[in-house]
Amino acid sequence: MSIPRLPVPETSPQSRWLGPLRTVSILGALIAVVGVIAVPLRAWPNLLLAAYYLLGIGLAGAIFLAIQYVSNAGWSVAIRRVPEAMIASLPVASIAMLVLLFGIHDLYEWSHLDILAVDKILQAKRWWLNIPWFAGRMVFFLGMWLFFAFALVRLSRRQDEHDGLEYFNRAKRYSALFLVVVALSLTLASMDWIMSIEPHWYSTIFGIYNFAGLFQSGLAAIAILAIVLRRAGPLEGILTSEHLHDLGKLIVAFSTFWMYIWFSQYLLIWYSNIPEEASYLVHRQEGSWAIFTVLNVVFNWVIPFVVLLPKWTKRNEGVLLKVGIILLIGHWIDLFWMILPPFMRNGPQVGLWEIGPVAGAVAAAAYLTLRSFAKANPIPKNDPLIVESLNYHS
Amino acid sequence: MTERLLVATFGGERDIVDATRAAKDAGYHIVDVYAPYAIHGLDKAMGLRPSRLPWICFGLGLTGAIAKLWYQIWTSATSWPVNVGGKPLSSVPAFVPVTFEIMVLFAGVGTVLAFFFVSRLRPGKHPKVLYERVTNDKFVLVLLQNDAAFDVSNVRALLERFHVERIEERLTEAGR
Repeated sequence: MSIPRLPVPETSPQSRWLGPLRTVSILGALIAVVGVIAVPLRAWPNLLLAAYYLLGIGLAGAIFLAIQYVSNAGWSVAIRRVPEAMIASLPVASIAMLVLLFGIHDLYEWSHLDILAVDKILQAKRWWLNIPWFAGRMVFFLGMWLFFAFALVRLSRRQDEHDGLEYFNRAKRYSALFLVVVALSLTLASMDWIMSIEPHWYSTIFGIYNFAGLFQSGLAAIAILAIVLRRAGPLEGILTSEHLHDLGKLIVAFSTFWMYIWFSQYLLIWYSNIPEEASYLVHRQEGSWAIFTVLNVVFNWVIPFVVLLPKWTKRNEGVLLKVGIILLIGHWIDLFWMILPPFMRNGPQVGLWEIGPVAGAVAAAAYLTLRSFAKANPIPKNDPLIVESLNYHS
Repeated sequence: MTERLLVATFGGERDIVDATRAAKDAGYHIVDVYAPYAIHGLDKAMGLRPSRLPWICFGLGLTGAIAKLWYQIWTSATSWPVNVGGKPLSSVPAFVPVTFEIMVLFAGVGTVLAFFFVSRLRPGKHPKVLYERVTNDKFVLVLLQNDAAFDVSNVRALLERFHVERIEERLTEAGR
């Protein structure tokens, strides 16, 4: 069977969305900039949320690619250009993360020397939680992720131009190494950036909890973008309901995984009921924060699990699109629930400073992905598994 | 009562799927298709109804979860109340892990048993192999000659388009 070559024309249908998406992302960035000057204590945490959200989309794309490579997966090759394009979010997200270093005193209690002087617990953690070491780790983590993610993209694009398996096999080796690297670094990064907002509290499951949310929202983004690109043209006749079926299965699986991990964290804290651990949950169950706790579970697990349980809903693009959007909103709720409570002791506030940055991040992810997608062949051309993927039956 | 069967042997995966689809479209009654391994898309070619096993799995999972949750609440709060760390007697979070495990156990084991039951597989069952090479490298389509309109020469012409290797007629006891 010959492999169709479908170059994206200059005026591809999806290119008319690029303008509005760019406008929304610039507006979001402007709101964040005005916010950190006008209301720093409200804007910095939301900028952290937005940057982490955008970073998650790009990183999830790279993790998805690596998993497909190491497991020698054939089904996903036809839609592989979608997660590859999502990696374009990583550089912008990395810059946004580095900007956060300017807000370190507004975000992290442990960065204040006067608080440190009277706090024995924070003094004990000082060897890890101090500004130079924190910034150094951030640069190191971001650098490694950028290196591996773009190596995977580059190898896949080179495979397009070459016969044989050289670049395919190299991508596998990079993937295996990347999965080890990202498992360790994402654990430390999530503890640094999110958990240390409340430096007296700790949870050893926090890294995998963050990975679960990140990968789940990444899968939702892959499904949404693939469906959108099929409607717009480039993936028409390539993305079939068989691929959607497998994406749907992964979404159900990782939604349940997220719930499993969320509950594992909850259960251990609830069971032992020690003040230093339980204060985290007590605060999140009081007043209107309790609404966020419930919505978090409903959006990230109850709705996706119940809706995607039958076979036909996983294969239906309309249903999958709506569940994907619910999951992307759910991921925002999850991050808001993790990051914001210490800054909003009197209950959650959702206004311009909260919606602006994250809307910008979502628009930026869509803009960067669609722009990057248009630059390459819509399917990997010389990949050894592409024919299997185009004729795939799940 | 006996049934007249027509047993057609093929040499390739593509041929058996296409021949099955053609026989289905031509209105013949397909008794079954035998292959050395699972073939994707064969179920659609045969026009099989979607499996009902997911419903059995769902029902069993739900039964297991509800039964186990009820049992834990009954033992900890009604039958033999035990105060654990000052927590309420029926503390549902503590019951969730076991409820989850029993749900998985019921759904998983129950679905396998239901599959064996539906497929009439049981220990000590003597396999009736239609044609020995179907366990190795051949593919077999079995059609039912159920009425006078069944014309073997027509069927032969249809199947020869898909490189049929051998056609034979067999008489079998009904309710194989």
